[in-house]
Amino acid sequence: MALRPVTFTRVVQPVRSLWQRFSVASMGVAAFALMLLGNVDNVIVERMRVGVTDILTPVLLVTAKPVAMVSSGVEWVTRLYDLQGQVDHLREENRVLRQWWHRAVTLEQENERLRRLSRFVPPPSPASISARAITATGGPFVRSMLVSAGRRHGVEPGQVAVSGDGALSGVVVAAGERHARVLLVTDLNSQIPVTVQGTGGTSYPGILSGDNSRTPVMRFLPHGAHVSTGDRVVTSGLGGVLPAGLPVGLVTSITGSEVRVRPLAQWSGPDHVRLLKYDIGKVPGVRP
Amino acid sequence: MRLFLLALQLDQAARATVPTVTVGLLILPGLLPLGAPWLSETMPHFALIAVFYWTLYRPDLLPPAAVFLVGLLSDILAGHPTGLGALTLLAVHVVVQNQRQAFVLRSFPIVWGGFALIAAAAFLGMWLMTCLLALRLVMAPAAILQLGATVLCFPVLAWGLVRVHRQIIR
Repeated sequence: MALRPVTFTRVVQPVRSLWQRFSVASMGVAAFALMLLGNVDNVIVERMRVGVTDILTPVLLVTAKPVAMVSSGVEWVTRLYDLQGQVDHLREENRVLRQWWHRAVTLEQENERLRRLSRFVPPPSPASISARAITATGGPFVRSMLVSAGRRHGVEPGQVAVSGDGALSGVVVAAGERHARVLLVTDLNSQIPVTVQGTGGTSYPGILSGDNSRTPVMRFLPHGAHVSTGDRVVTSGLGGVLPAGLPVGLVTSITGSEVRVRPLAQWSGPDHVRLLKYDIGKVPGVRP
Repeated sequence: MRLFLLALQLDQAARATVPTVTVGLLILPGLLPLGAPWLSETMPHFALIAVFYWTLYRPDLLPPAAVFLVGLLSDILAGHPTGLGALTLLAVHVVVQNQRQAFVLRSFPIVWGGFALIAAAAFLGMWLMTCLLALRLVMAPAAILQLGATVLCFPVLAWGLVRVHRQIIR
């Protein structure tokens, strides 16, 4: 029996047909395995995610730029449309803020006196890194975004992202060389230790837990906590992950035992964020 | 002559990548930082439409590996659980390929209706997987809006893809 000549096709053919038969199934299994591994924070999956995102960050930066231009143009036109209404609104707000300013000055002087009396050393104000949002704030199943600063700018996982007015947006969960991913407080996996500041100086600790809706829900409030709509919610610093006292949101709805909070930072899409470099442990009110 | 043949081959190879490239480009709109959060929450799932269209009309030019890789890429960039989008797009690809005879050469409303069913199943699958991974019931009202937007956008995007199909791939 004569041997058939060994050709490339003859060697490759069985492999190819095997691949064709099982490729789709194996890819499905691979996707499923990645999902499960990613869910338990596997290091390899995490490295792959960060690496791929780092490579594609320039593409996202380029695509984000014209969008930012267009949306700022649209914003300009809509502002123009209701100029008189906005002037009235701002005048009213200015009147109220002026009253607050007088009160703030008085309180600041009083605070200064008391600090001198008790020889209080104020905490150092944290250094911050400004970054631009380069992706949307997530779809229906996830609430996170990529920002344009990474390890080479000093960003580390665990840093706090705040919006322009200083309200908590989220926490950095992953950082590549050129990008970082911020998990927003509304995300399913976000759990923030907070304090609800009630009326009359009362405050109640709890956990602000995201559920992918616009208004995260308060969990583990103490029994008999007297919370009402409009109460301020600030970080409590418990657990030593976040600094204490950062404004988070306002209580907006109380139905039965469910207390929902509207984050201050999410009222409009955050296009710029500041990432705060807190040195946890040196910040008073934080227990490492 | 040989150079001409080479150019022809290159040209054909480039045209053959068009379906994969369109699916890849169509993951971008969902990633753009559009300012208003409601806009990005309900942004139609354009890549799903493209996978449906190309699997129906040019399955030879959209290999499952390409669908898988594009899905994986979108998961990584959007911050979804890695593999969720890949699994969804791959499932749509397989289902449409098996049901091609039911849709191909049919009138547009039937194709549209078929897409609506498959898209609904895909969103249901994504929602179930999200709940399973989080180990709790996740409310995702925006998903219903996104599904609606995707189904409504189908005719417009399909028209665009028909243009691309006729003009570029031929």
